[in-house]
Amino acid sequence: MARIDWISLLSLPALMATTSPAFSADYLTVADAQRILLPQAQSFAAYPVTLNPAQMAQIRAISGVAQRTAQPRVWRALVAGRTAGWVIVDEVVGKHEFITYATGITADGHVTGVEILSYRETKGGQVRDPRWRGLFRGKTVKDKFKLNQDIPNISGATLSCRNITDGVKRLLAIHAVALAQVG
Amino acid sequence: MLSRCRPLLGTFVEITVPDGAEIAIAAAFAAVSHVQERMSFHEETSDLAAMRRAPPGDKVAVSAETVAVLSAALAFYRQSDGLFDITIGSDLVRDGFLPRPPGSLPGRCRGTSADIEIVDELHVRCHAPMLIDLGGIAKGYAVDQAVRALQAQGVIAGLVNAGGDMRMFGHEEWPIMLRDGDGRMREHLSLANCAIASSANLRDRRWRLGRWRTPHIGVNRAPVVARGRTTIVAPDCMTADAMTKIAMADRALAYALLASLSGQLFSERQRGAQH
Repeated sequence: MARIDWISLLSLPALMATTSPAFSADYLTVADAQRILLPQAQSFAAYPVTLNPAQMAQIRAISGVAQRTAQPRVWRALVAGRTAGWVIVDEVVGKHEFITYATGITADGHVTGVEILSYRETKGGQVRDPRWRGLFRGKTVKDKFKLNQDIPNISGATLSCRNITDGVKRLLAIHAVALAQVG
Repeated sequence: MLSRCRPLLGTFVEITVPDGAEIAIAAAFAAVSHVQERMSFHEETSDLAAMRRAPPGDKVAVSAETVAVLSAALAFYRQSDGLFDITIGSDLVRDGFLPRPPGSLPGRCRGTSADIEIVDELHVRCHAPMLIDLGGIAKGYAVDQAVRALQAQGVIAGLVNAGGDMRMFGHEEWPIMLRDGDGRMREHLSLANCAIASSANLRDRRWRLGRWRTPHIGVNRAPVVARGRTTIVAPDCMTADAMTKIAMADRALAYALLASLSGQLFSERQRGAQH
């Protein structure tokens, strides 16, 4: 026990300096995002997909962006047992941020919307003031934030959403090579 | 309070409203999307693309919102003696911050804001070839439009944040952190019923062909190399957004203008100072 305590104590400062999120926010659960993106759907069913190497290469060729995982997180939206569209939950990792987002795609391959589920800043934006740092920890989408104790809002040089734009192109390519044929 | 976030205007737009008011969020995002569709530099279906394609001197039909932003931009152009100029699109294309629009010749687009005529509430005319970029003002306007949409739905308090340009309404104070040019956050403010915008380019500049290239164009069309963050607090976000660009290029001029705009300037503290 004592040894474990020492290890955790020793590793703490390094963690704080490099991987502690400076800013993080949770906006929506996957289920909430599904309803917002495809409100006409009666139900959503997880749809396991395993992309083969040829499909992975095709996705890269179509979108210009590499698909990292062979198993994207896909839900099929159903109306009266038929496919009404798809929701894909994906992640993008930027220089300073880690973002989870959901994209709704119609059965014929049109984007219905993009919702950010969570946003995590990884480094470069560390908060020095410990009073503020405490606010960022352990927030979940279930917490009802109170005004004045809410996640602080940050004003600075504009962040680019380029990674998400590229990500959505990649998800449309996943739809084209692996989902469009599904009835 | 609850927040939603979507990728819009090339950045992340976050809307926060009291619990139970989430139904109004859709209208606010729609207002932001409308600004994006009409005023995008990139979209070939935008009002800016229509103005670019029209022969100089032709009357071009645009949305009322585009006329509102162009009118405000021309007012800032006059007040700043030409420093704030939305025709910097050609400079930004040349320096690689914007893509070259299809069919355009940025080298020939030498028109300035003085060549833009507002004909009426739905029409404008450009008297010389030009590339207009509303990147220095439309984001703030979009935030204001989103706030108006929320208020029209009866929402009594909220915050709209478009990548750091934000406006809050209602009686309560909101905690705002200021991110310095190097990405760190050292200062914070508490604000109610106003707007705030910041600019910095420490991480968004490059040295090419013997000079600095930045997305901020200043006096005599020279790129502005800013030492740190520039923050403006103003009654509305369009003013805050546009004034950050003026303040980055000419601090003294910004102070003079802000007095009549009920605005305030907050500069990044110099390094070495205590924090």
